[in-house]
Amino acid sequence: MYKKTKFFDLNYYKFLGSWAWILHRLTGLALIFYLSLHVWVISTLAGDNGQFNEIMKFLGSPLFKYLEIGLWFVILFHAFNGIRVVIVDFFKGSLYHKSLFWILMIIAFVLWVWGSYIMVTHIIG
Amino acid sequence: MAKEKRNIKILRYNPKTDKKPHWKSYNLELDSELTILDVLNEIHWKIDGSLAYRRSCRSAICGSCAMKINGQNLLACETPMHKFKGTIKIEPLPGFPILKDLVVDMDGFFKKIERVKPYLILDKPTPIKEFIQTPEEFDNIREAATCILCGACTSSCPSLWANEDYLGPAALLKSYRFIFDTRDDGSVDRIDIVNDKNGIWRCHTIFNCMEACPKNIKITEYLSKLKVKVLENTI
Repeated sequence: MYKKTKFFDLNYYKFLGSWAWILHRLTGLALIFYLSLHVWVISTLAGDNGQFNEIMKFLGSPLFKYLEIGLWFVILFHAFNGIRVVIVDFFKGSLYHKSLFWILMIIAFVLWVWGSYIMVTHIIG
Repeated sequence: MAKEKRNIKILRYNPKTDKKPHWKSYNLELDSELTILDVLNEIHWKIDGSLAYRRSCRSAICGSCAMKINGQNLLACETPMHKFKGTIKIEPLPGFPILKDLVVDMDGFFKKIERVKPYLILDKPTPIKEFIQTPEEFDNIREAATCILCGACTSSCPSLWANEDYLGPAALLKSYRFIFDTRDDGSVDRIDIVNDKNGIWRCHTIFNCMEACPKNIKITEYLSKLKVKVLENTI
């Protein structure tokens, strides 16, 4: 008898539901990373040796401003796919989960473009 | 019938000689109308008699020939070869231990189904004649009762790949079929079994089971209903 030791069957065909789930997990991990970083940055306010100002100066560089546009995408995907999961579990969403995914993603995309536009004009202007 | 040349790759494993499964390639000239099961028969009968696979009814009702074909769990007997272009890769069901070639060990799968008590549990005496249900009551479980226990759904579930103790879609669907059966009195027990760390809450609505089901049972929909039922009964 042969038992696979690897966790995942990575070759299995990925349907829309699989992609939504994989991206939901990855964006979730990204958010945990961001929030830990965020809490750490804020926690430096506790000591008054100017550490906070130094970090904020570093994080205020354009690179991080542009990374925030990516963060905005991560938040939107996680939030809107989360809404999809709730609809699937409580409002018979599994019968139309694919169209639901695309509708919610279109709304998320519009919000992303809108938010990114504001952020970019903020960085440039 | 038109003939065509096809390359078939099968994941072979012989427990006596191999440490790990390996791919074996077969080049065949085949009728384009054949199903994947016919192709396996062709190889087994004419080329290599040592190829092991399960088959029985060849009409999609016994559930023996579920296997992974070009990355998806399908019944070999109802999958036509012309569904795929080029090479066809055939593997045993993922997530289950392999006994030989395409034959997997289904013991764990059936033990999980036994765990949810897949039979009517009655407090009242059995009626002497018919055990009546209205058509509306039966509609709740009509589709869930058509499960053929092929294992395609459970084997396609990433939650099961990550944790082999997870009950899996087939067993949970079976529990749905009895919990939502109006004649049954054993729901309290079953809800307890399902409301477990390896039970219904490991379903992350990935929908692989619904895509894999050869009977097109809306498994995720029923599991969602089951989640709501468990919530109602435990809060």
